[in-house]
Amino acid sequence: MTRVRSTRRRAPWRARLRRDWPLLVMVLPGALLLLVFHYVPTLGNVVAFQDYNPYLGDSALQALVNSPFIGLDNFRALFSTPAFWDALWNTLSITAFQLVFFFPLPIVLALLLDSVMSRRVRAFVQTIVYLPHFFSWVLVVTFFVQMLGGAGLLSQELRQAGIEPPEIMTNPDTFLLLVTAEVVWKDVGWGTIVFLAALSTIDPHLYEAAAADGAGRWRRLWHITLPGLRPVIVLLLILRLGDALSVGFEQFLLQREAVGRQAAEVLDTFVYYHAITTGDYGFGAAAGLFKAGVGLLLILLANKFAHLIGERGVYARS
Amino acid sequence: MVDTRATTSRRAFLSLVGISAGAGLLGGCGDKAAEGGATQKLDALAGVLPEQGALPAGIPQPDVISTRPVADGYTRFPSSLIDAVAQQPGAGGKPVTAMTPAWGPAPPSGSNNGYLTAINAKLGTPVEFSVQDGNTYAEKLGAILGARDVPDLLCVPGWEVAKLARLSDAVKALFEDLTPFLAGAAVKAYPMLATLPTGAWRNACWNGRLMAVPNPTDNPFPFTLFYRKDLLGGPAPTSIDELYATGKAVTDERKGVWAFDDIFAMVQMFHKAPGTKDGWRLRADGTPEFKYETQEFRQAAEFMAKLYAEGLVHPDVVASRGADAKQLLQSGKILFKQDGMGLWQPMQAEQQNVTPGFEVAPVPLFAAGGGAPLAWGDDEPISYTFVKKGLGKERVEEILRIVNWCSAPFGTNEYNLREFGAEGKQHTRGPDGPVKTDLGFKEIQNQYFFISGRSPVVQPTPQTPKYVPDMLAYANASVTNLEKDPWDGLKFEMPAKYKAGLVPSDDQINDILRGRRPLADLDTVVTAWRANGGDEAREMLGKALADSGR
Repeated sequence: MTRVRSTRRRAPWRARLRRDWPLLVMVLPGALLLLVFHYVPTLGNVVAFQDYNPYLGDSALQALVNSPFIGLDNFRALFSTPAFWDALWNTLSITAFQLVFFFPLPIVLALLLDSVMSRRVRAFVQTIVYLPHFFSWVLVVTFFVQMLGGAGLLSQELRQAGIEPPEIMTNPDTFLLLVTAEVVWKDVGWGTIVFLAALSTIDPHLYEAAAADGAGRWRRLWHITLPGLRPVIVLLLILRLGDALSVGFEQFLLQREAVGRQAAEVLDTFVYYHAITTGDYGFGAAAGLFKAGVGLLLILLANKFAHLIGERGVYARS
Repeated sequence: MVDTRATTSRRAFLSLVGISAGAGLLGGCGDKAAEGGATQKLDALAGVLPEQGALPAGIPQPDVISTRPVADGYTRFPSSLIDAVAQQPGAGGKPVTAMTPAWGPAPPSGSNNGYLTAINAKLGTPVEFSVQDGNTYAEKLGAILGARDVPDLLCVPGWEVAKLARLSDAVKALFEDLTPFLAGAAVKAYPMLATLPTGAWRNACWNGRLMAVPNPTDNPFPFTLFYRKDLLGGPAPTSIDELYATGKAVTDERKGVWAFDDIFAMVQMFHKAPGTKDGWRLRADGTPEFKYETQEFRQAAEFMAKLYAEGLVHPDVVASRGADAKQLLQSGKILFKQDGMGLWQPMQAEQQNVTPGFEVAPVPLFAAGGGAPLAWGDDEPISYTFVKKGLGKERVEEILRIVNWCSAPFGTNEYNLREFGAEGKQHTRGPDGPVKTDLGFKEIQNQYFFISGRSPVVQPTPQTPKYVPDMLAYANASVTNLEKDPWDGLKFEMPAKYKAGLVPSDDQINDILRGRRPLADLDTVVTAWRANGGDEAREMLGKALADSGR
């Protein structure tokens, strides 16, 4: 007992510093980046509680100081705007839908790719499926319009065949399917990277041993591959939940007029139209803060749940 | 000045703050404009405006005299050009930064652009441009203003002004007050600026001070309905029924041809819905009424909804904000497009080389219900050029000399270089005047035009000899039906609540046009619009009229 305690006792910080300084130096640039681009801007959230006027005083900082505090008025205004609740509902529906119909796809694709024996074929396929990730949303939406839109390839072919083409790009009822299809096309390949990396860490001897014991392909998948991937899957799931209220911006901005606000307004476009374009930054910050608060809560809950089922989650229990 | 309002009045409406010429008032009464809305009486600004100066000697008389606010026109290019600015404007200081809009592909920047290099050499102090997409320019403006990070020279297009929140606050906090440099006789140091019309200068005042250099308009029309004359076959439609029938006849889905772009603004104009101050007019009893509330708007919405419902609008336009309707018109995939007058000449000049016989022309205005048509329009400048605050007197003077050089009128060598670049590079000089080369089309994107103003004229171009007579015929015919502005001479900053309230209303009207809601929902839209700032704006506009004794 005493021995355990003594090994746990920490060395004086000076000694630790002497020992660990190369690590600290290595972490410094990253920490600075976080500080400058994440923590400092976070302070700007104070405008959520202000009647913020960016033109008060002689500098941006003075404007922040001089703008009067109005307590929770911005939040009251936000919650009493029906369009906000519509946007929240749309966002949550899209997140839920994509959690079921998009999230598993990269795992499946990674498993498929991993089973391809020829290295050359695998590299070729990987390159192709990664590619759309680097296209901007304008390009992706234009591509879909040119392929599936009313004047696109599909519609023109159908018309030549004497069939009235269906409305794919402008139907509010099927918009959820459309945006998910776009996300799948754009990002499914990119999403495989982490899973492929995780797959490569599974000890091949396990497969050999299992095969020697007569385990078929499905049993190996079920008892070796998936358990090997589980920590990564849980980690990404938790992080995705933290982003539950962010489902993208440009994709919806571009297609908003095509299907209408009722279908396409998500929280980010709501903030854009109701706060950024109208210069009502306090109101927008309130919406952003609400979003961040919900995200944090979801991460904490999901992480708690992960611990309960025996996973590490985002961070381990101390 | 610190905002002294009670902290709880965030969304409260402040009644109109008039700015009169009364002695001490000029300084900064615009503060409360931010959220409550404000009115400036432009007549009261006489004291801060520059004296009108004459054009440089040797500029020929125009060939076509127009009805104002349409500018006069030249059908032939002057045989000899004059030098208007003798002294090199720049003192060789560090480059002047500027931000301007451009539509279409961005021009090469810096030393990669021979046009910029040529003019910067003349200026002595180079101007470095940040050219931004004109379609999303308001968003960029909102961001740099809010961040208080503005370039030395900033172009704010006139049509974006209404979209910018708390602009009068922003102008006061971020830009140099040009009154001491330009008011009265002081403008004589910048003789090209003195040639700009007084009406344009009046509009360049904020908070009672002269804050920007205006870029006067050569025509007052925000929208014109253009059509592909070469493809239509017959004459342009002359009534709303003909427009519909023509649209129906030319739409051929199998060939990938549809009749229209989104032409709702023109449809409203044909139905004589009001367009003043973005859609206000007076009822018979003298109270202001907004376009949403009028029968004309309802009819226009019904007509536009019919065009959408029957599939006469190109599906790309329906499906995505990113659709390039100009490209669709050029390639003949649509035959009608609404746009500003600026579409006409450049498209004609460029496309007639691509498509033999290419001809784009405006549809003459008509009224849906018969009788005289209505033309929306105002005499407000195309754009305003602001100078960053706190650069120091000498630097501001240098910058103003540069703006002055760029503002030289038609008929001068400076204008020619600014408009067409260098001879043998960006243009070649034929017997009828300069002809832009491909390099010229690529490099010249109105960069210097958007940081200056000029005494406006409609100028000839050798490639498009019909443009000046055709354009002025259309413009001078339309200007006789220009909508009367009951608030002429008053400049408004509308209440923030009203501006914010327009977003949901526009969304819902968009739903109605595209058939996602019934037309009957327009009543609900109006009710919501009234509650969300509409009635407050009405009150403000009504009070402004009463206060000015009309």
